[in-house]
Order: sequence, then C-alpha cells, then structure tokens
Amino acid sequence: MKSLLSLIKVSLNHDMNIFKINTKKQSKFSKIGLPIIITIYIMIIFGVYSNELIKQLTPVHMEYFALTMFVMIVSFLTLIEGIYKSGSLLFNCKDDDLLLSLPIKKRTILFIRIFKFYVFELLYNSLFLLPAIIVYAYYIHPSWTYYLSSVVAIFLLPIIPIILSCIIGFLITAFSSRFKGKSIVQTIVTTIFLVAILFFSYNLDNIIKNIAKQATSINDLITKLYYPAGSYIKLVTDFKVTEFLLFILIHILLFTIVIFILGKTYFKINSNNKRVLIKKKTSHNSHYEIKKHSPTRAIIKKEISRYVNSSVYIVNAGFGLVLFLLGCIIISLKFDSLATSMLANSKDLTIENVKDVLPTLMFGFVCFTSFMTSITSSTISLEGKTFNILKSLPIKPYQIMKAKILSALVIMIPCILVGDIIIFIRFQFDIISILLILLASIILPIISETFGILINLKYPKLDALNDTEVVKQSMSSMIATFMGMGISLLNIILLFMLLGKNMSNHLIIIIFMSFYTVLCIGITFFLYKTCDKSFNNIIT
Amino acid sequence: MIEIKNVSKKYGDKVAISDITFNVNDGEIFAFIGHNGAGKTTLIKSIVGIHEFDEGDIIINGKSIKEDPIACKREMAFVPDNPETYENMKAIDFINFICDMYEVGEEERKKSIKKYAEIFEIDKNLNDPINSFSHGMKQKIVLISALAHNPKILIMDEPFVGLDPKAVFDVKKIMNEMTKEGKIIFFSTHILDVAEKLCSKVAIIKNGKLVKTGSMKEIKGDKSLEKVFLELEG
Repeated sequence: MKSLLSLIKVSLNHDMNIFKINTKKQSKFSKIGLPIIITIYIMIIFGVYSNELIKQLTPVHMEYFALTMFVMIVSFLTLIEGIYKSGSLLFNCKDDDLLLSLPIKKRTILFIRIFKFYVFELLYNSLFLLPAIIVYAYYIHPSWTYYLSSVVAIFLLPIIPIILSCIIGFLITAFSSRFKGKSIVQTIVTTIFLVAILFFSYNLDNIIKNIAKQATSINDLITKLYYPAGSYIKLVTDFKVTEFLLFILIHILLFTIVIFILGKTYFKINSNNKRVLIKKKTSHNSHYEIKKHSPTRAIIKKEISRYVNSSVYIVNAGFGLVLFLLGCIIISLKFDSLATSMLANSKDLTIENVKDVLPTLMFGFVCFTSFMTSITSSTISLEGKTFNILKSLPIKPYQIMKAKILSALVIMIPCILVGDIIIFIRFQFDIISILLILLASIILPIISETFGILINLKYPKLDALNDTEVVKQSMSSMIATFMGMGISLLNIILLFMLLGKNMSNHLIIIIFMSFYTVLCIGITFFLYKTCDKSFNNIIT
Repeated sequence: MIEIKNVSKKYGDKVAISDITFNVNDGEIFAFIGHNGAGKTTLIKSIVGIHEFDEGDIIINGKSIKEDPIACKREMAFVPDNPETYENMKAIDFINFICDMYEVGEEERKKSIKKYAEIFEIDKNLNDPINSFSHGMKQKIVLISALAHNPKILIMDEPFVGLDPKAVFDVKKIMNEMTKEGKIIFFSTHILDVAEKLCSKVAIIKNGKLVKTGSMKEIKGDKSLEKVFLELEG
C-alpha cells in the first residue's frame, strides 16, 4: 500500500503538472496566474451556458435537464478523447523499463496509468460540471443531499467513459501491434472508430424514439440511455440512500473488474508492441540511400516523419481536417435535405437564401477548421531531449521554426484545398469568391500555425512520458485549443452579424481577409523578432 | 582554437561554473575531468551553443559563440553523453539530416558515411529504425553523424560510455588521426587511464571552478592522473 501511494504521488507530481514549462525562468504569472485565468475563463463560459439553459427550463420545472445535458456532453467528450489518448497513455511509456524493474505487481502499474488518466479527466470534467451544479443550486436551493450526490458524482462520472475508452484503446492497440506500420494502422482504426461514434450520435434520433416509447419518464429515458447520468439525476430529484450506495458501488466495482481483466493482457500487448520494432530491425541491408536536401526541407521531412509516427498527434491534429473534408462531401451530396431540415422552423429563409450566402459560410468553415487545428502547438514539446540537437545545429532558430510551420502547412493546406474544390465544383462559386476562399485557405492556416509555435515557444514541455501528455495535456496545447475556440466563436458571431446587415459575400470576406492578412504579416514579423530569444530560453 | 574566457553560469542561485578560463589549441586532444556534478556538461553545452552563459565569452576560431553562434557551430560537432537521436527515423536518415544541416555535399557525405559506418561495423544497420538500436549502436550513429561533416572541432561528453571495446579503440584512433590534421578534440571523461594516454592537455574542474589546467606532463608530473585527481578531490 505504501509503495502504491508513493507511486501515485510521484506519477501525479511529475505528469499532472501541466503548467510546468521548460524555460529558464517560469514567471509567477505562467505558474499561478495563467492557470487561474484559464480555469475562470472556462468556468464562466460554462456558467453562462448553464444559466441560460436553466432559465429556459425553469417555467416547465425541468431544471435538472441542464445537469443531464452537461453530464452527457462531458461523458461523451471524455469517451471520444479517451479513445485516441488511451493507446499512447497506457502503452510504450518512457518509464516502462523503470517501473517493470521495481518489485511491484504489474497490475499496480496498469492501475497507476489508468488512475492518472482518471485524475486528468476528473479535473477536466470538473471545469465543465461544477458551473452547472452551482447554477442549478442557485436556482433550486436544494437540500444537502444534492451537494453530497453532486460531489460524489463529480468523482464517479469520469469512470465509465474512461473504462470504455481504455477497452477500445486496448483493442485498437492489440490489433495494430500485429502490423509493421503500427502507428498508421492505429490511426486509421482510431479515426474509423471516432467517425463511427459521431455518425452513430448523429443518427441517434431513431434509437431515442424507440427507447422513449418504452420509458415511463424522462429520468427513465435518460437512465436507459446512459446509466450514470440517469442515476445521478434520480439522486438529485429524489434522493434514496440505497440508490446512492448502489451508484457508488457499481462504479467502483466496474473500475476494479476492468483493471483486473485488462491487467491480464496489458503487458502482453505492451511487449507485442515492442516486438514489432525489434522485428523491423533485422533488415541487415547495406544498401542505403544518401540524398542531399536543403536544411529547411530536411527539417520538414523530419517533422512529417515525427507526425506520422504518433497516432495521438495525427488524430488530434488531423481529425478536424478529416471532419472538414467529410463536411464538404456531405454538404455537396446532401445540401438540399440538410438545408431543408435546418430551415424547418424558419419562415423567412429559403434554400436559395442559404445558397446565396454559401461563400461566406464556406469562409466561416475554413476559419473554424484552420483555428481549431494546431499542429505546431506541440511541435517543440514533442522534441523532448532531442531539442538539444536543434540547439547545437548551425541553423538559425527562425529557420527551424519556419520549417516546422511549413511542415504543418504541408499537412493542412492540401486537405483544406481539396474540401474547397469539392464545394467550388458543386456550387459553382463566382471567381472572386473562389480566389478569396483560396487565399483564406492559405493565410488562415499560416496564422494558426504561427500562433501555435509562438505558444509552444513560450510554454514548452520537454519532459513528457508520452505524446498524449504533450498533445492533449500540456499548457501549450490547451491554450491553443481554447484560443482557437474563442477566435472561431468570435468569427462566427461577426460573420452572422455582417450577414444580417445584408452585406455581399465578397465584401464580408474582403473585410475579414484584410484583417487576417495584416495579422499574418504582423504575427510572422513577431515570430522573426522574438523566436531567437524564446528558443534560447528553452532548457531541457 | 577554443578560447574560454572567464565563463560563469548559474542555475537560479546555484553556481554551475565560475570564472573558467583556458585555451585549447589546434591539433590538441584536451581532456576535461571532474566529479559528477562538477560542471563539465554545463561548460561543454555552453561551448557548443546549447546553454547560454551569464558572464565571459567563448571564442571558436576567432568568433564569439555569443555574437555569431551559427558560424561557430559550423566549425564544431557535438557528441552528447546520452546519444540523442530522432528515434522514429532510420539511422541513415538521421545521419543525412545532420549532414543536411551542415550542408555537406552528396559525394563527400557518401564517402564519410561509408568510411565511418564500416569502421564502427554498423553499415548493415543503417536502414534500420533507431528505436530498435542499443545504447552503443545509437552512440555509434551519433558519432558517425558528428564525423560525417568533417568538423574542425569535435566536442564530446563522455564519448566512450556504452561503446564496445573495439569501438572505443576505433574512436581513439579517429581522435588521433584528426589531431594530425590540426583539428581539436575536446572531451570529458571519467576514464582517467584513457585521458592520460590519449591527451596532450587536461583541465580539472571541481564544484564549478577550474582547479588545474595545463599539459598532461605538467599536471601529473611523476604521478598517475588518477592519483593527481584523487588528491585534488580529497
């Protein structure tokens, strides 16, 4: 027990410190101020959402439905994130050799890894759930049992999505570890899983209708859909000690059983993963290719090779691009039916109206995809100890950063352009709209990726145990994600405001692109001026 | 020539190296010795431009590493204590990558990669991914990539760790050949026998301060280097 506690302490101390950065001096602001600002920012946003939702539900006395919504959304996001994080969080960790050489049970190591995953999701979920719980209490003035149930629920709710994602992560890793191109197989299977889940959620209407027919109340419906959410709402609206204890027991039992079962195969899968690497080794081929490249091209090649060898990196950065392409294909194929269903409740708007503003909407889609995709916000952190190689090379830091940005653009821009072309062909945009959107498809990714690298230069994390810690759980990636969300939201609001003023598509896009072109020049110049100093400040 | 002039560096309040001054001339093999945590790696990383230092200057063939780091780095190659490589790359791709950074011509790199890969008996593994290599094999890859661009100055931090006896012998031979061409070899080591036999000059560092520097003969006199070192440490 003592060793378990000690392991938990060390693991959490090392891995959960997402605000630790590898620079010469970490200011008090980045150590304390920034985490507080990010936390408050997220909680205020979700507090406002909860408030709006509960206000709407108060007249029908269904305030609890806001809690249900939040629990369902947070659980769904935990599941989605967990699926592509679990492979990297649980397998091939850098501390494998150290932990396996210690006199502790292998199952304990698995427990520690899943527990770390749990603690992170617990913190993440709390940011979204706590505001809803507080706002609900403000409106309802519930009894003490509500607070007790809510506190316990916050701790228990991440368990089932984590268990499910770990099982799926296990299956994907076990399957992909049989192949030579393990990373690529893992990425493809993970992407298929994620797209399938999104497709399933999109088509959930019929399933819900069937369950609703058999449900006697909304609570019953929710419980049948997702037990933890339904059970928590039952405790909120009608607290019973037996149900409360059952709620706790089911989660703890499930967690224990899953650790027990997965523990039986975990190390077999982990060592299979490594065996593939060793098999690869035995090529014994003395014919090798020697080719000269420019330094920039060599760095781009290295970066792309790093990218394709990390499935969590590909899925995290590339999933938005895949959704963009799928979105463009679906809009092209099913525009009429989609527009009809979206305009079902609108008396004033017609499909023709939507078609008229399609260039602006497409521009908004490109903005959203560009700002929500940040490959470079992890690129320096992923160097880890190899950052010293870059530091010792006779290459200017700006040239390295430029090559890193270019490698991200090589991945991003072609995907966006393919989506653009599909839409251009299907909807026959005029030439000015085409040119403006093409310009946006180049300028906006440059801004997003330059911004990403600036954040990563400021907040590098070079001592991560696996790629997930960098890609999903580092300060840099979190800032890039939340800033991307903020900018995207602002863009959408402004676009709709301008559309409401009956401005032409061209004028709207020109206004936006004028601003973004100036921003692009400004941010590139800023990187040029500051990157030497930031680069040299990073220590391994 | 490497000129280290009054170099000091602190990590927070802790002094890592203090007022270090010495020169390494062309054609010299220079050993840098000291106990663990004495400041050897800090100074080495300052010379190769990985660490910035607080005071003093380091001049590489007449150019300051502070003022013109790129020109200085062009003259040097660095072999770290722990072989740092891009694990997902093939060995040949890593070596090619380093050569690209130094803009080495195709023919020149072909010759030197072939030469050193054969010396280190790793030519049949160059197509393999680095993450399947042992520590020693990785060290050989780092050595080949450092030597492939024909540096004027070779800086190494504990270069013999993890190498097999044959590779250690080969590295020593390469070091000797390089100095005959007027190149500089500067390395840290804990293997005092090797330092004693191989090096023309030596510097001993203790708690961040240089306690002795000079030719090997001057430093050890009639004693062994090990004895001198232990006396200084005591």
